Parts: sequence; structure tokens; C-alpha cells
Amino acid sequence: MNRNLFLKEMRKNAASLIIWMIVITLLITLTMSVYRTFMENQSKIVGMLSVIPKGALQFKGISNFNDLLSVLGFYAANNVIYMMVLGSIFSIVLSSNILLKEEYNKTAEYLLTRPLTRSNIFLSKLSVISVNIFLLNLVTSLAGFICMELVKTGPFSIEAFFVLSLYTLLLNLLFGAIGLFTSTLVKRAKPVTTFSIGLVLIFYFIFTISKITPGISKIGYLSPFRYANVDAINPSYAINLWNLTYFIGLSLLLTIISYRIYNRKDIYT
Amino acid sequence: MSVPIIDITDLSKFYGKARGIEHINLGIDEGEIFGFIGPNGAGKSTTIRILMNMIFPTSGSARIMGMDVIKDTKKIKSYVGYVPSDANAYSSMGVHEFLSYCIRFYQIRNGEERISELSELFELDLMRKIADLSMGNRKKVSIVQSMLHKPKLLILDEPTTGLDPLMQSVFFELLRSENKKGMTVLFSSHILSEVQMLCKRVAIIKEGKIIQLEDIENLRKKQLKKVSIEFSDHLNKERFSIPGLESVISGPNNIMYFMYSGNINELTGFVAGMKIINLTIEEPSLDEIFLHYYKN
Repeated sequence: MNRNLFLKEMRKNAASLIIWMIVITLLITLTMSVYRTFMENQSKIVGMLSVIPKGALQFKGISNFNDLLSVLGFYAANNVIYMMVLGSIFSIVLSSNILLKEEYNKTAEYLLTRPLTRSNIFLSKLSVISVNIFLLNLVTSLAGFICMELVKTGPFSIEAFFVLSLYTLLLNLLFGAIGLFTSTLVKRAKPVTTFSIGLVLIFYFIFTISKITPGISKIGYLSPFRYANVDAINPSYAINLWNLTYFIGLSLLLTIISYRIYNRKDIYT
Repeated sequence: MSVPIIDITDLSKFYGKARGIEHINLGIDEGEIFGFIGPNGAGKSTTIRILMNMIFPTSGSARIMGMDVIKDTKKIKSYVGYVPSDANAYSSMGVHEFLSYCIRFYQIRNGEERISELSELFELDLMRKIADLSMGNRKKVSIVQSMLHKPKLLILDEPTTGLDPLMQSVFFELLRSENKKGMTVLFSSHILSEVQMLCKRVAIIKEGKIIQLEDIENLRKKQLKKVSIEFSDHLNKERFSIPGLESVISGPNNIMYFMYSGNINELTGFVAGMKIINLTIEEPSLDEIFLHYYKN
């Protein structure tokens, strides 16, 4: 890894990272701020929710209406859309452009002529992706934790909160690896932002459809969202070894393949 | 015999079925200012990009300072400076920020002094944003960044595009001065006159192949002559035919222009029986020689 390149990229991405942190933190804060109201009117709201098909709630990780009465269940249900989907969009947009932008901005001719190997460049950029995703997750999870502490009406499991945050981080890292992999497959330099965002939304759509349509529930296994268990209220909720292997294994595999492709890739400007 | 600073052996690059370069062999000696000439698409940038390990060759090899351009790319680049043909630096950065970023890749103690020295020479405003610079000023930034670490080898790909004549002169003077201190220069261009001003040797590349590798002076001394003959009467172009005659043009006022690569005595003997008003035999310019090689 090259420190100079790493710091320059961190500085360059700082504004974007801060904006994403603020947006997700605000969304979590706004959502959690209605929890008290939700609890005060729980009988009315549970009545309203009872008319919603069970499947429609299931895709948000809610297996029982009563789950929403717990601060952790309430947080988990909303965490899916904010931290998992938005965090994954942040991750894939960052990772799919971090190498490719040097080509379509024609700056690769400056970067690749410095005393660096392709490995140095790849590892520096990979570190930037990892640190950015980690910081986004740290700040937004911390914001979620503080919000829960402020609005809770009873105790909640810190362990379950940690597992939920870990799943979110692993999912975001996997989308980071998918973005990196996608960018190394692009032969002629062009931005792939739209494609990357589309990919996250398609995976989320597959996951959603599989949750609400029992007949096609198996297609859900095609989506990474399927492996990020958000049923935090379940007493047996813990990190699943298979899911952990899936996230770490697939992320590593895609990163290693991307590394090998990048090391032998013709860089055009 | 010393090892060439750039040693290219049977180097080829194909983009799918499309030709980039084919079987290029080239040796550039240390301390040379070497010209690499050819029109756009001839393969100059492809060759340079292989040397800089931006693209990989289909076959063959290239070495810089005895090191392989793929395996030893990191070490090689600590000794090499490069000016790309497109001067697209990081537009969101300021000039000083970009140059400081560049210099931090090298182990240089007096980096700031070097930035000031070169920026003053090229009258570069360090406080401006790269996005706000004109094409010419971006080129200056590109030239400055290539020379910050006092490279042993400078590779220039169309370096003068966008530079005004005054800055070109400053740049050429700097190249001559650094060359005297030992820096080798590979100067790629499609403008022969600027290569003529700097280089002692030149390689001409056409359709991916090197067609001529020559000293500039030898290139001039080739038997090729530029001839114009003014006849008193109209002469049919088809009747004017002897070996060595090329690119015959019938001008106004019965004047005929052509390039001649044969024996001058044979030419004078051939025209001796004709009614001639004026006969001029000149050395062609390098551009005319260049065009001659290309047409053939």
C-alpha cells in the first residue's frame, strides 16, 4: 500500500463520506424520533398494521407485529432500508469508480507512471474503500445506538445490536467487492455509477419479492440481502456461521479476482 | 559496449485483431535525445505505454536501464519522468497541491525548492486550480511534474501540444541543459521540425513498424534531392521518366517539381537535350523527407 495515494484518496472522498454519514444519520434519527409516539399509540398502530399482508412486513425482517414494540425491532426494521440499502449504494458507487475514474478522467497516465506497482495502487484503493465503509458503518451504527438509548422504553440486547451492525457492515463490504469486481471487467473507461446503483436495487428487489411471494422464495438466495439476517428480536438471534462464511468468502473471492485482473489489465486513457 | 537505456526487442501489441505495433526493435543509448516520429495512430503512444507498463505487450520484451518494464516497473519509474500527450491532471486539485502530491512519491529532500524552481521557469501560477488552467498551462504542469525528481530518463509523448513558441523554447532549453547533465530523452512527436531541433537520432514509425532508424544528419544527407526545372515549352509529364524520379508535379509556367533519389549525372544527362530555362537542385526539408518515407 502507498501512504501518499491512500491519504490523497481519503481526502478526495471525505466530502462524499460526510454527506452520506449525515443523510443516513438524519434518516435514522428522524425514524427513531417517532418511536415514542409509536409506543404511545401502539394499540391503534398494531391495529393498522394488522391489515397489511404479513409478507409485506416480513421483508423488513418483522416476523411479528410485536417486534415493532421493541426499540431494537423498530430500529432493525428501518435499519434495513437506510443502512443496508443506502450503505450498499455508497459502497458500490465508491468501489466501482475508485480505479475506473483514473481511466475515464485520464489521470491514470500520472498515477501509473509513479514508482508504484499495480499491487500498490490496488491495495491503496482497497484500503480507502474498506476504511470509508467501516467509518460510515461506525458513525451510523453509533447514531442508531444513541437514538435507541434516548428513546428506549426498556432494555435491549447490545449483543443483538452488534450482530445487526456486523451484518450491515459485511453486506456493505460485499457490495464494495462487487463494485470493484465490476469495474475491473470494464474494458473501455466509462462511469458505471448508474449500473452499480441498479445492481444494488435489483438485488434488493429480488430479496423483497422472495420474501413476500412464498412460491418463489428460493430466488432470494441470489441476493446478498438474503444472508443479512435482521430478525434481531428473535431470542436465538446470533451471527450465523454460514452467512458469515458467505459474506467473507464471496468478498475475498471477488477482491482476489479483481486484484488479479487489475494486475494484468491494459489501462487505456 | 554499453547497454542501451531503452532496449526494445521484437515488441508487438495487438488490440484483438487490430494492430498496435509489430515486431519493434529499438535501442536508445544513455545520454541521447532520441526522436520518435510518426503520424497519429502509427504506434508511438502504444510503444510508450508499454514502456510505462500501462498496457502489456502481446509479444516481445522491453527493458529500461537493464530492467524489465513489467517485473521491475516500480524501480524503473523512480528513474523515469513522463509527459503524456493529454495533459489531464486531477482537475479538482490546485497546481501546488498536485505537484506536492507527485513529489511525495519520490525520496526528495528539497521538493518545495524544486517545485518553485520549475514553476518559475515555466511561469506557472501555483495558486490556481488545475480545472481553471488553459491547455497550454496544463501542459506546463505536466512537464513540471515529470521533471520534479530529476529523472535519468524522460519520456515525452507529444509534449509541445498547446505550448506557445516562447514556452517551447524554454522547454527545449531545459531539455538541452538536463541532457548535458546526463538525462536521456525519448521525444515522441509528429512534428519533424521540433525533433530536428533537439534530436541526434530518430526512428520513423509507420503503421506499427519502424521503417527508418537514422541519424538526423544522415537522413538529410540521403541522396534524395528536391528538383525543379523550368522548361521553355510545355512538356508532357509522362515523357519525363527516368529511374529515381518520384512525386512529379507539373506546375504553372512549364515548371516541373519532383523528388530525385538517383544519380545527378544521369538526371543532367537526361535533361541535356531539352530546352531548359532554369534548373534548381535543393536539399529537401526534413518534413519533405518524412513525407517521402511515408508515401513509399
